[in-house]
Amino acid sequence: MREERDAVSGSHPSGLDPTAGRHRRRRRGLTLASVVVGISVLTVLLGFGLSRDPTVIRSALVGRPAPEFALQTMDGSQAIRLADLRGQVVVVNFWASWCLPCRVEHPALLALWQRYRDSGVVFVGIPFQDRSNAVRAYVEELGGDWPELADPASGTAIAYGVYGAPETFVIGPEGNVAYRRVGAIGYEELAGQIERLLERSE
Amino acid sequence: MIGARAAGRVSVGTAILALSLLAGAAALTVVAVRGPGRTSALQDRVHGVAATLRCPVCQNLSVADSPSRLAQQMRETIAAELQAGRSPGQIRAEFVGAYGEWILLSPPKRGIDLVAWAGPALMLLGGLAVAGVAVRRWTAGQREEVGEALSHRDRGLLEQALSKIPEEPEEVG
Amino acid sequence: MDRLGTFALLLGLGLSIYGLVASVVGAKRGRPLLIESARTTAYSLLAVLAAANGAMLAAILANDFSIKYVAENSSRETPTFFKVLSLWSADEGSLLLWNLILAGFIAAVAFRFRKRKLETFPWAMAVMYGVSIFYLVLVIGPTRPFAALQSAPLDGRGPLPLLQNHPLMAVHPPFLYLGFIGFTVPFAFAISALITGTLSDRWIRITRRWTLAAWIFLSIGLVLGALWSYGVLGWGGYWAWDPVENVALLPWVAATAFLHSVVIQERRGMLKVWNLSLVVGTFALTTFGTFLTRGSILSSVHAFAKSAVGPMYLGFLVLVLAGGFGLIAIRSWRLRSEGRFDAVLSRESAFLGNNLVLLAVTFVVLLGTIFPLFVEALADRQSTVGGPYFQQTAVPLFLLLLFLMGIGPLLSWRRTSPGQLRRRVTGPALAGAATVVGIALLGVRSPGAVLAYGLAVFVLVGNVGELIRGVRAYARATGRRGAATIPSAMSRNRRLYGGLVVHVGMALVAIAVTTSSSFASRTEVTLSRGEQTAFAGYVLRYEGERQIAQPQRIVLVADVSVSKDGEDLGRVTPSLNLYPAASEPIGTPSIRFGVFRDFYASLIGFDGDGESATFRFFLNPGVTWLWLGGLIVALGGLLAAWPGSRRTRAPPSPLIRSRELAVVSERD
Repeated sequence: MREERDAVSGSHPSGLDPTAGRHRRRRRGLTLASVVVGISVLTVLLGFGLSRDPTVIRSALVGRPAPEFALQTMDGSQAIRLADLRGQVVVVNFWASWCLPCRVEHPALLALWQRYRDSGVVFVGIPFQDRSNAVRAYVEELGGDWPELADPASGTAIAYGVYGAPETFVIGPEGNVAYRRVGAIGYEELAGQIERLLERSE
Repeated sequence: MIGARAAGRVSVGTAILALSLLAGAAALTVVAVRGPGRTSALQDRVHGVAATLRCPVCQNLSVADSPSRLAQQMRETIAAELQAGRSPGQIRAEFVGAYGEWILLSPPKRGIDLVAWAGPALMLLGGLAVAGVAVRRWTAGQREEVGEALSHRDRGLLEQALSKIPEEPEEVG
Repeated sequence: MDRLGTFALLLGLGLSIYGLVASVVGAKRGRPLLIESARTTAYSLLAVLAAANGAMLAAILANDFSIKYVAENSSRETPTFFKVLSLWSADEGSLLLWNLILAGFIAAVAFRFRKRKLETFPWAMAVMYGVSIFYLVLVIGPTRPFAALQSAPLDGRGPLPLLQNHPLMAVHPPFLYLGFIGFTVPFAFAISALITGTLSDRWIRITRRWTLAAWIFLSIGLVLGALWSYGVLGWGGYWAWDPVENVALLPWVAATAFLHSVVIQERRGMLKVWNLSLVVGTFALTTFGTFLTRGSILSSVHAFAKSAVGPMYLGFLVLVLAGGFGLIAIRSWRLRSEGRFDAVLSRESAFLGNNLVLLAVTFVVLLGTIFPLFVEALADRQSTVGGPYFQQTAVPLFLLLLFLMGIGPLLSWRRTSPGQLRRRVTGPALAGAATVVGIALLGVRSPGAVLAYGLAVFVLVGNVGELIRGVRAYARATGRRGAATIPSAMSRNRRLYGGLVVHVGMALVAIAVTTSSSFASRTEVTLSRGEQTAFAGYVLRYEGERQIAQPQRIVLVADVSVSKDGEDLGRVTPSLNLYPAASEPIGTPSIRFGVFRDFYASLIGFDGDGESATFRFFLNPGVTWLWLGGLIVALGGLLAAWPGSRRTRAPPSPLIRSRELAVVSERD
């Protein structure tokens, strides 16, 4: 059984009228053009989407005053306030013992702390959603003598917009957040930021 | 159908329908006007704010729904802020200051985000316009009244006849 | 194993290319032998891909960690059941399954049409082979499941913790894939109809059951997804408007519109371009869905880990869109409407309304899903579109859809007089209005919820009423009695009764969604060992914590005893699962399912060695009706798709085919 071709097409009355043919072609051209335009726009948009990493979230804090915090160290020996550190470059590092990239970045932090500790740069670590004994064990194992501050309700982390570990913030002497790094920070990267801020303050 | 008795039945039926629809509409209006209750319990207020914020660690869940630790701590932060007297708007602004605009679960109704809200509204208007035009074009010339429905007897004859007709054959894959 | 698998895939690619070329050449040059060889190639393709999947399965079961996929997605400790499931738990393996299912559909089409000499058949096969080529290139090129590692590790990493937590992983992805891939068949036949210029209703009739089958599979897949979200993810809900959830919903919405609008084309000869566009659109949406899920455009709990394959998916999507809509645009002038509508008050209008509303839903969900991309591209800012947006935009549309579901079956084809309509509508409208008043009196504060209940009851009473009316009329006309009349009555017009049953299921789903959104209660509380709390009439006491060590994970279980009015009701045991590969524990909720409400407990965390624990308790009413409604929808679809008895039918008598006899349509 053969299929019926569309019965209309062969003897359509508009086939007899020349202007209708032109009209039809214009309509067809318009439809084709709109299809092309629509698909192009979609392609450009989706292509753009491919060109960036969807898991990276930008920081709202860069260039703005760093949120204030006043926290006790993990061993309870002293209290540190961000306001007291005004005039110095402050590196705030959020980390956790259960986070692998934190271990990867730790040697860089250690080296940079030793290099700049007498140059007016303060390092501060804030464990993120971690247990105190795990924190102590980590520091004992990997070293580093900068203050570790207790943030049990993650209030400071939330104020800084932290959503994972590790995250590092570099705060300038004037109190603004100069740089934020989500994920393990590299030696050169952090050194560059610190140098930039030290130069500026001279 | 003609006849005084039939006419009486028709109007009663219409009246029942009209009354029930009216009652429904009235009840709906009352509910709409009454509005959502004023929630005083802290947990409900926290929920109200948290439901508009996105949990940063679990994709696309609100802070109210997320079972993650960070979301729980954010809820505690919200509770503390509410108790300190801050308004939901202020709390939201603080979170936006820390995390950026994406922490809002729903795009705000201004700037370029307005497109997200305007889009559906325009679509609705456009769709209604298209529907109106299409219906007009397709029913042109057919708007004369048709005769009334079949009488009972005719309907019975019809159903009898139909039951004897085989199901419409169709080619299916 | 990996060599066998790679060889099988390459062979499959060769077969698909041959199938495509042979179909096209055979169709253009009129060589039936070529077409037949292309047809039977489908069987070999299926066998070859089954072998490839079998090779992967064997490698997983044998702990062959020299294959990268096995090392990343399985481990020695993974239980055998989940080892089998890890075949599709990650990108490469699930693409392997995708290819197998696609080959299955091609073989099924080849088998089904083995005796019929359709002009469109070779072109349809060509299109399907073309799609198969794309997905095979993916598994041979960028997303290779059989890629080998330089040195095999001693043990694998195991599947993602979330994907080995629950047996639902066995059925949710396969059903979704069956649904998505199933839409390739109507798409192929539509394209072939456009290519050959045979633009009658043929392609619709041929593919009707295939489209319906794919729709049923997708419906089941979506419901299973909701069940998974509810039972596994532990946040107390079942739909998060996650981007990947949304793109799985989009083809379903488009296919639903299509299933309705084809009836108008069959009856009135109208909406031809619209139907072709819907079919191309549905298939394009499934392609868009895979693109979004695997091309790492948006972050989502479902998205596969980043892979470099995005541009290929984008290219294929553009090809589908350009090819499909381009062909339609070129041929559109031949697709004139043959008929017209008779009256506004007719079932045709309701179907038209259905399509408009579903189109709006598609647009809104699509816009919301890609809007963050749009904002980032134009304003260089990141934004989120989540639940609240969709609730405000899509929910009113769903309410409108409910209304159409109720009134559609009450309208006649062609035209309904106001008197007829009034007679039919009064009962359901009365029920609906009474519901509205009753729910309002109960104190519900959301007008949307009140309206939803009223409309759902309207749909229930209307559709069930039509069901009963139809069966009764049949019984009266044929004089039959007894329960056996129901199946025979229904089998006289399966499409209609199937549709009525689907509407009943959807109304139940609407009631379930409204109830669980409006009446759910929850609490979050930290309890120390032995401490108790009261919630929703229950008394809950945290008894303590225990550990269960399993080969692949450590489970920390919190025992909570539940009692009500002094009567002990047992325990709920929400838990946290610690997997070595995961940095955070994965929670498993403990649910007591009930007909009217579920008691749902979820564990957020422990403090200090289990001395105290933080819980979330939910009372979720009506969620069980969601699963029940989904089941009814699937059954209704099955009824609509059920094949008729295979007797040779008389050609249509002039009486039926004549469209002048308005009264005939009244019976439908």
